[in-house]
Amino acid sequence: MRDSEAVERFEYLILLGLCLLITLPLELLLGVRVYRQPKRLALSLAGVAAVFVTWDFVGAGLGHWDYVSARISGWSWWGLPLEEYLFFLVIPLCGILAYEAVCATLPSVRAWVNRRGRSTRDRTVR
Amino acid sequence: MTLGYTLFSAVALVLTLGLERILRTGVFRDQRFWIAMAIVGFFQVLVDGWLTCRPVVTYAEEQFSSIRFGCPDSSLFSAGGMPLEDVVFGFAMIAQGLMWWVWWGRRQVDGSRD
Repeated sequence: MRDSEAVERFEYLILLGLCLLITLPLELLLGVRVYRQPKRLALSLAGVAAVFVTWDFVGAGLGHWDYVSARISGWSWWGLPLEEYLFFLVIPLCGILAYEAVCATLPSVRAWVNRRGRSTRDRTVR
Repeated sequence: MTLGYTLFSAVALVLTLGLERILRTGVFRDQRFWIAMAIVGFFQVLVDGWLTCRPVVTYAEEQFSSIRFGCPDSSLFSAGGMPLEDVVFGFAMIAQGLMWWVWWGRRQVDGSRD
């Protein structure tokens, strides 16, 4: 197996890992509390994953979509690749982090926009 | 059956709206929800774009609308990109996640409210 093929096999997993990596600063630096509410997070993700993993079983079973075997790890349960189960946890988690980040920053963004608006008007008056 | 994915994504959207009628989280009237959704949408173009352009995930041609968003011109990519249905699918999935997040947040399952 060439090196590039070895990497290719983990391509989907690496992509999901990158999603977690780039959203991590929202929790660590911006200070949103998502990972730090583990029960709330687990229950929320369970609600989504239950519906969408079921859909994935049916959709893949009916041949609506398929996975390129060279680009997935090969680990699978009940016919679905590991990556698909992780997808339905990782992506909604990133969505929740994005929402909490907006909740955390919107008031200061609004205040900044208002300040700028006021100072522009002040200059116009003068 | 043809257009199976089209039908399923429409059903997912209806189920999402139905879930909101039950949970009554108010997210669809919350500006922050739509801003978050726009941010997620941008990243979906990158992540789902990668999955569907390489491709990692392939779609049966007769099962979706055949509307695809296309891919950058690169030797890395050999498929047609995100189907329209993926946008609906992604919206339904993220929306349900946020609805549950808000709903469970009101129930304060992690002790004191943050």
